[in-house]
Amino acid sequence: MSTAEQNQQLPWKTSARLGGESHGSRTLRRQPRVSDHLLGWTIPLGILFAWEVLARKGVLPQNWLPAPTVIARTIYEMAVAGDLWRHVGITIARVALGFLIGGLAGTLLGALTGYIPVARKLLDPLLQSLRSVPSIAWVPLFLLWLGIQESSKIALISLGAFFPVYLNLSVAMRHVDPKLLEVGKLYRLSSFQMVRRLILPAVLPEYIVGLRSGLGLAWMFVVAAELLGASSGIGFLMVDGQMTGRAAIILGSVLLFAICGKATDWVMNATGTRLLGHRAR
Amino acid sequence: MSVRMTIERVIVSEATRDHAVTKGGTLEIAIENKTFATYQGQLSILRDVFLSIDPGEFVCIVGGSGCGKTTLLRILAGLETDYEGAVHLDGNRITGPDLNRGVVFQEHRLLPWLTVHDNVAFGLARRAPVERASKVQHYLDLVGLKNFEHDYPHQLSGGMSQRVAIARALAGCPEVLLLDEPFASLDALTRIRMQEELLRVWQSERTTVVLVTHDIEEAVYLADRVVVISSRPGTIKNIVSVDSSRPRERTDHEFSRIRKAVLDEFFAPGLLE
Repeated sequence: MSTAEQNQQLPWKTSARLGGESHGSRTLRRQPRVSDHLLGWTIPLGILFAWEVLARKGVLPQNWLPAPTVIARTIYEMAVAGDLWRHVGITIARVALGFLIGGLAGTLLGALTGYIPVARKLLDPLLQSLRSVPSIAWVPLFLLWLGIQESSKIALISLGAFFPVYLNLSVAMRHVDPKLLEVGKLYRLSSFQMVRRLILPAVLPEYIVGLRSGLGLAWMFVVAAELLGASSGIGFLMVDGQMTGRAAIILGSVLLFAICGKATDWVMNATGTRLLGHRAR
Repeated sequence: MSVRMTIERVIVSEATRDHAVTKGGTLEIAIENKTFATYQGQLSILRDVFLSIDPGEFVCIVGGSGCGKTTLLRILAGLETDYEGAVHLDGNRITGPDLNRGVVFQEHRLLPWLTVHDNVAFGLARRAPVERASKVQHYLDLVGLKNFEHDYPHQLSGGMSQRVAIARALAGCPEVLLLDEPFASLDALTRIRMQEELLRVWQSERTTVVLVTHDIEEAVYLADRVVVISSRPGTIKNIVSVDSSRPRERTDHEFSRIRKAVLDEFFAPGLLE
């Protein structure tokens, strides 16, 4: 085992390498212990337990706040009936398509404005002012232009995903350390190589943050889009539950949104961590 | 007024002479004027800097902060091209950066997302993979970082990072190695070790070395010639030859004498007695 590996495993040990040269800015982080995680679970589990007991005793009205187990059973029954998968599937498809379109547009425009100053001067003020419009405010216009079908929903989700991606990438590209760019100049990189070998890797952490918040907003906007009129999707389930007075379905849908959102974020984060490798964060 | 300095010849070792035939690395510096735009108008940074550097020679440029010594090095690197005059390397005018000149900055400027190996290989993208790998190996060996090729820059100490930066600068097989206060941000002990390392690297690679520093002892310890630059506008005040053989003893009489001679260029003699 090399000294480097030992150092990684024993971060509190600043063992002197090469005869006592002072170490650079190595971040020393304490590994979270198992008990830390358990501590975080105690309150949620306590609330769930109290909720369950109170609901079963009839203290909480059944049609307002059904017991957690009832909600779980409702979801389970829908899953068995097969209905659930169709709704979850279509919601995920909408988020995926919207995120893809918005993320792609954000990437292209972000890279363009970040790399070419003229493009930034031309486009950034416009995009920034559009950003200050609350995105939900576009809904009537989207409905008018694109109808009540899928395209207006996708447009809304894309819009939500677009801005964080655009903003993070554009700003990060503008702020790449000029000292590193000079290294590229010393090795006579072409503009294309400069982007591929220096700028893209340099902005990757910020870009991934942008993608993550874009994905988060895509989930937010799919809820809005589906609440505003849909015949399928998790949002539709919520409206349906509200119409038919079934709180268990509404709460179950909330839970589904949470699970789906968390799962996609986890995938995105894991991919990001993989891409960023071992570089310092 | 153009002051052409008399160029003192340095006793060049036999090895250096042989090397000079095979490798090249002659720098002909003739900078008449280099200005920067400021709010007060054009400020002259360098004026009448004429200097000829032999192949395989180790030259240290010493000056106070703001005297233009870094600008001079950036001109040699090809990062500054807007000035009056010309700089030639082996008869070819320097018009921009090139692999025949390796540069080490005060900060290591390693790319944080690349391993030590990939950082050293950064300028070798066009070489065949086998050649690239062997070059990286060779230079990491040379700077004493054989087993660190898979580490990332943030895992290295300041001195180690600067070694990697030196290996990266050498990997392109430059004729001239340019160093801009490379050890200024290191602690005193590491600095001394790095100076010895640099001498070793220089003796094994036989490149021309131009090192900019504000540390007079460092300059006298390393250089064949110490070029003293005065401030505003930066111009060559004197060139002090250091003929004593290496390794030099920092405490011996000859060393102190030369060190004082350089120091006297900055402060009037007697002032420090």
